[in-house]
Amino acid sequence: MSSSEQSFKISIPDSALESLQKKLALATFPDELELDSDEERRKYGAPLAHVQRLVERWKTRTPDIANGSGMATDKEGFDWRRAEAKLNEDLSPMFTRDIEVEGFGTLNLHYVHRKSVKEVDGKGRKPVPLLFVHGWPGSVIEVRKILPLLTNPENEDDLPFHVVAPSLPGFGFSEAPKKKGFNLTQYAEIFNKLMLALGYNEYVTQGGDWGFYITRRMAQLYGHTHIKAWHTNYPGPGALEPTFTTQPLHYLQHLFTPYTATEKAALERSKWFSTQGMGYNIEQSTQPQTLGYSLADSPVGLLAWIYEKLVNWTDGYKWDDDEVLEWMSIYWLSRAGPAASLRIYYEVTQANQRQIPAREKPTIPMGWSRFPQELRSFPRTWTENVGNLVFDSEHPSGGHFAAHEEPEKLVGDLRRMFEKHW
Amino acid sequence: MSGVEIPFKISIPDVELELLRKKLDLVTFPDELQDAEWRYGVPLSDMKRLVARWKDGFDWRAVEKKLNNELPQFTRDIEVAGHGKLTIHYVHKKSTLETAIPLLFVHGWPGSFIEVEKILPSLVETSEDGSFPSFHVVTFSLPGYGFSEGARKPGFAAKQYAEVGNKLMLSLGYNEYVTQGGDLGRAITYKMAQVYGGKHVKAWHTNMPSSLGIPAPTLTSHPILYLQSLFKPLTPAEKAGIERSKWFDTEGKAYFWEQATQPQTLGYSMSDSPTGLLAWIYEKLVNWSDAYPWTDDEVLTWVSMYYFSQAGPAASARIYYEMWHELGTGFAGAVKNPPRIPMGASYFPKELNVSPRSWVRTVGNLVFESVHSSGGHFAAHEKPDELVEDLRNMFGRGKGKPGPAYGVVSGRNGFQPA
Repeated sequence: MSSSEQSFKISIPDSALESLQKKLALATFPDELELDSDEERRKYGAPLAHVQRLVERWKTRTPDIANGSGMATDKEGFDWRRAEAKLNEDLSPMFTRDIEVEGFGTLNLHYVHRKSVKEVDGKGRKPVPLLFVHGWPGSVIEVRKILPLLTNPENEDDLPFHVVAPSLPGFGFSEAPKKKGFNLTQYAEIFNKLMLALGYNEYVTQGGDWGFYITRRMAQLYGHTHIKAWHTNYPGPGALEPTFTTQPLHYLQHLFTPYTATEKAALERSKWFSTQGMGYNIEQSTQPQTLGYSLADSPVGLLAWIYEKLVNWTDGYKWDDDEVLEWMSIYWLSRAGPAASLRIYYEVTQANQRQIPAREKPTIPMGWSRFPQELRSFPRTWTENVGNLVFDSEHPSGGHFAAHEEPEKLVGDLRRMFEKHW
Repeated sequence: MSGVEIPFKISIPDVELELLRKKLDLVTFPDELQDAEWRYGVPLSDMKRLVARWKDGFDWRAVEKKLNNELPQFTRDIEVAGHGKLTIHYVHKKSTLETAIPLLFVHGWPGSFIEVEKILPSLVETSEDGSFPSFHVVTFSLPGYGFSEGARKPGFAAKQYAEVGNKLMLSLGYNEYVTQGGDLGRAITYKMAQVYGGKHVKAWHTNMPSSLGIPAPTLTSHPILYLQSLFKPLTPAEKAGIERSKWFDTEGKAYFWEQATQPQTLGYSMSDSPTGLLAWIYEKLVNWSDAYPWTDDEVLTWVSMYYFSQAGPAASARIYYEMWHELGTGFAGAVKNPPRIPMGASYFPKELNVSPRSWVRTVGNLVFESVHSSGGHFAAHEKPDELVEDLRNMFGRGKGKPGPAYGVVSGRNGFQPA
């Protein structure tokens, strides 16, 4: 099923960093329409000044125009080696392991596995094994802030966790599948096998974006037997507006009790996302290889493609330029290359796995943390179609990357949920 | 309104060719799934072959020479209300016959003004025996495409493109003219027919009558057509057309959605990676045509029009943003206020959206239809003889029987005066 694990530290070869610098030295930018504000510019896409500033920061050499070599004096810029060292420290310990996936052979999976510092907490409770599943355009970097909070709480009475956070196959430092058809069922299989191989016969999950879809599939397949409860910050589609036939009580309720201001704002945001924000999704779901040529060949193109989401999908999060470049680098320097990470969209679309009928929803306890700038959101009453909701919370701030934007709030929710449902 | 005409020859500076070569030398390809073929997008083997040719073998200077010889080109400044002056690049070839019909050909994406190349010689041809009409042919690079300047401000949508087309024709002395267009050219000539129809545009022909989708007639919108459609079963061609339209909507429209919502984001890839640009465009050249045997050099010529364009490849996506945000429903155009001038439609089975013919009657004053058994989206390039024949039949007076749009342009019916 899976062979013994190897210790892992990120160590990008010099040649990859040099090749990146050569491309950046030739960076060619488009123009931009004359617009008065970043808000106006963002309507068309990532603003030019920001992309140029980030590319400039990414370069570590000032181009020597005179001799045309593109390599001249060193300048202060984004230091990948320093970022790499910090990632290795913050995400330690990391490992890789070969895991067999039915029909796909073995895949070498990269993961973080950090055990709780204490074996029992102040109340005598043992740590809860938690699988954290990232999405796109995220990576294991998304577990960075919550990792210490989960495994080493300040308050000795706080429920501790063992945390496992893999790179999705095709993302970060995991191998990518070579054959067609690697869909949610395969992601679920490989992650369940990982948990079992690590000795966690029973565990819980947390996921947003693709993490939501994957952990929902896991909850369907391994709920009760292995997975005790699942938590998400992204309820995805499938939460349907009540109609008189499907949910008569809720339908009638909403005729007389209007949606709250928060609910209305969330519906507006969902509408924005589905009409204005889905371009990337449709391309990745239908022609990922075509897009892949751009993202594999142009670090500038990749930067813009991802940076646009880092801004649009968060709640005024103050991204540091080096933070953005770190996220970017994980895609650019990933084991399988940036094109591989797009295929999950295609495979899941082909397998028609995004929406599941209500009768197939997982039955294990489900928790949902709501952050106002998440891409989709629904009134609570609609989520009865999605899962067995036992816990939900609403926060006044935060967006799509909950673990990165609001780590304390997310961890607080995980504690409150899993204290009861584990 | 418009400045003086200045002769133009395509001449890309050496430094641009050098930069292209440097980028191609550094190309990084993605991997590919086993047996992917065309399912996930352009196959890797196609891309490697095309990039290798682009680096070594494709002769851009030879292409420049050929185009400059075949297509008489010019530029002229045209004022667009609210947007200032734009330098517009165009081709203008007159027939030897003064009373030839002035025809404006409007290209789309991912095409360019060179789409007129194959139909131009036949269109300007005169017939000894008066069996077919002759045309004066004009085509321009859409603002943001080819060698025209791009719009600098937001809001440059169908109305503005239509204004450029009309002002160009007027500046060339063609107070009355007809149009031919597909893809964006369909949307723009539709707008021209609505705004300038009757006064300047006297008839319009399209090879993309259904645009990116037109609504079916309903009992309230078009009762007679609706009732007729109830009794007339769909032909096999119409059924195949519906399948094709469905394919386009579900598998082939992502480019539209990205370009219509985040054109700038896409633009960074298109500007920085010629390989990325090549893939983005080549996928459509193959998927949208009807088994057309593209040569590598043909593909690279089409892509070069974007890579070497005056405004850069990112600018070409903005028209999607502007038009979609204006119309909200894509490029079908409002069915209310259909143009009243005579309309001609040529149906090619591998067009992107193929609606039943009864639906097309809701688009305009349909007087001419021609159904073809092969051909795709790029009609002028794939089926030049057929398209020219359709235009000759629509506007001509073959064998004593006048075509449905014969003589629409005063004093210029395409034939020798009697």
